[in-house]
Amino acid sequence: MKHMQDFLVASGLTKSFDGVQVVESVSFTVHSQEIFGLLGPNGAGKTTTIRMLSTVLDPDDGDVNVGGHSVERESDAVRRLIGVCPQELALYPELSATDNLVFFGRMAGLSGRESKERAADILQRVGLTERAKDAVRKYSGGMKRRVNIAIALMSKPRLLFLDEPTVGIDPQSRNHIFDTVLTLRDEGMSVLYTTHYMEEADRLCDRIGIMDEGRIIALGTPTELKAQIGDPNTTTLEEVFLSLTGRSLRD
Amino acid sequence: MMRPILLALLEVKRFLADRGALAFSIALPIVLFALMFGVFGEEAGFNDTAHVADLDEGDAARELIERIEQIDGLDVRLYTEGELDDALGRSAVLTGFVIPEGFTAALENGTPAVVRVKQRGSGGNAGQITAAIVRGVADGVASEYELRRALGALVSEATPQEEVVAQTGILLADARREPPVRVVDQRLVEQGEEEDVLDRMLPGIIVMFLLFSVTLSAQTLIEERRNGTLERLLTTRLNADELFAGKFLAGVSRGMLQTIVLLVLAFVVLRIAGLSALAQSAALALVVAAAASAIALVIAAVARTEDQATWAAVFVTMFMTVFGGTFFPIASSGVLEVLSRFTLNRYAIDAYEGILAETATLGDATFEIAILGAVTVACLTIARLLFRVSSEAK
Repeated sequence: MKHMQDFLVASGLTKSFDGVQVVESVSFTVHSQEIFGLLGPNGAGKTTTIRMLSTVLDPDDGDVNVGGHSVERESDAVRRLIGVCPQELALYPELSATDNLVFFGRMAGLSGRESKERAADILQRVGLTERAKDAVRKYSGGMKRRVNIAIALMSKPRLLFLDEPTVGIDPQSRNHIFDTVLTLRDEGMSVLYTTHYMEEADRLCDRIGIMDEGRIIALGTPTELKAQIGDPNTTTLEEVFLSLTGRSLRD
Repeated sequence: MMRPILLALLEVKRFLADRGALAFSIALPIVLFALMFGVFGEEAGFNDTAHVADLDEGDAARELIERIEQIDGLDVRLYTEGELDDALGRSAVLTGFVIPEGFTAALENGTPAVVRVKQRGSGGNAGQITAAIVRGVADGVASEYELRRALGALVSEATPQEEVVAQTGILLADARREPPVRVVDQRLVEQGEEEDVLDRMLPGIIVMFLLFSVTLSAQTLIEERRNGTLERLLTTRLNADELFAGKFLAGVSRGMLQTIVLLVLAFVVLRIAGLSALAQSAALALVVAAAASAIALVIAAVARTEDQATWAAVFVTMFMTVFGGTFFPIASSGVLEVLSRFTLNRYAIDAYEGILAETATLGDATFEIAILGAVTVACLTIARLLFRVSSEAK
């Protein structure tokens, strides 16, 4: 049974770099035990928004509250509640998966023993136990992506940020990641998920916010968004996305 | 404090797992050491040439030269005094011997005789050995002359046999107490102006590779900034100050590890000094590694791309290596001397030289350590002010 209270509340987030407005008055919520999809073309401001939500970047204006704590004023308390899987493979390729996980576990405040135990559990969950001792640089792209996610789980987060976690991987690894994310949600975790793959968002996300040019331009369940432009049973999320953001190239 | 230490330990682990980094920072200096040892180090058998200017040309001088030639592994090459001075001036010869005019006459008359040893700097290892041999041979020749002269006098006076034996014993005892030939060392350059090649190059190479590998680590810091590892760390409990401290400690640990391996190798293979000097050298390495790590953080803070960081690291290291006295002694004045003051190498090598030669202790290097400490503090301050975690401007 889902608990519908808001675990993350973003209000009027605004951010500029060198006078260029990258995020403009973004407001949304992520419920407890919900997968919230943040979609948008390249340069829409998704990653900057995630960086503000995850305490890395201070907003110029607006506030974020995670689990009852202000990101700006109580960043340490917020960091205890979140796990971040960035778009890049933010890991140490010379080291093994276990070493990577144990290190980030220690950084998240776990003891050495706790870190090792948790690393073993998570590696089993993401299907990497047999290769746990191998250097990550020897892994396939999909395996590296799974390690990237596994690191984010080390802190036992209640809110997980997954920024395009399935870029450039094979269908098997992608499906494994989907199953993992759905299981985590069912176990009580909230997930903020960004992706360029619309079918992925349709399959995973309970609610979706579509961003363009730094603003949220649509927000709702996949069915609600599809209903905005046609029959929800025949309309795809990609059609909704293109309808809202246009067909011009963005890069 | 625990998290920066864990971060530093992680860096050491990454360093040890990176074969390229290990090859560059440890294997390459070892190869260089091996080459140096082959060129300048000990040899299994002794071979040298005694460079002699015979100004006397008397019997005693000829006898001295012949006896030197009879020593295994030692040849004699004869010069005029001008030729010998010229060869010494060009460093073609590091140790030369001058048998002055009147040498034979002095020995025959029983007045003090002198052989002058001219040397550049310490005269080199082989030169010192040859000088010791020449000294011994000269003493032998002189003793014989003394004996011959005394015995001649006794025989001419028809002294009884017992008296001759007794007098001979006394003469031999006197000769042992005070050699009749004084060998006078004449150093052509001041001590410290030209040191033993190994003594100078060893610390120079240690410091050069330390600077290279630690400053090049600035490039990996930027790579981490680009691939998001640094930013990811900031979503854990680590704050920016701890991250900065961790990266500084990582550079120090890496530099220390590398230096200690090289020092131990130098001490074991080259046997250049004792355990106390090894311990003091390791302590000095901590100060040098701290300064190098702080410089690396400045490079990482200023550079925006990995290429920029690499070029900056190479420039800084080469500038400090070339002008800091790694390959040639620092001039006592002029532009090169002024430039050398802006290098870590100058202070590090000066401190290392005394410790490795066991002519000074860490306490004697207070000035150099203070300079290196000041560089560390200044660079850390600048780097912290400029330190960016993200690849994007904030």
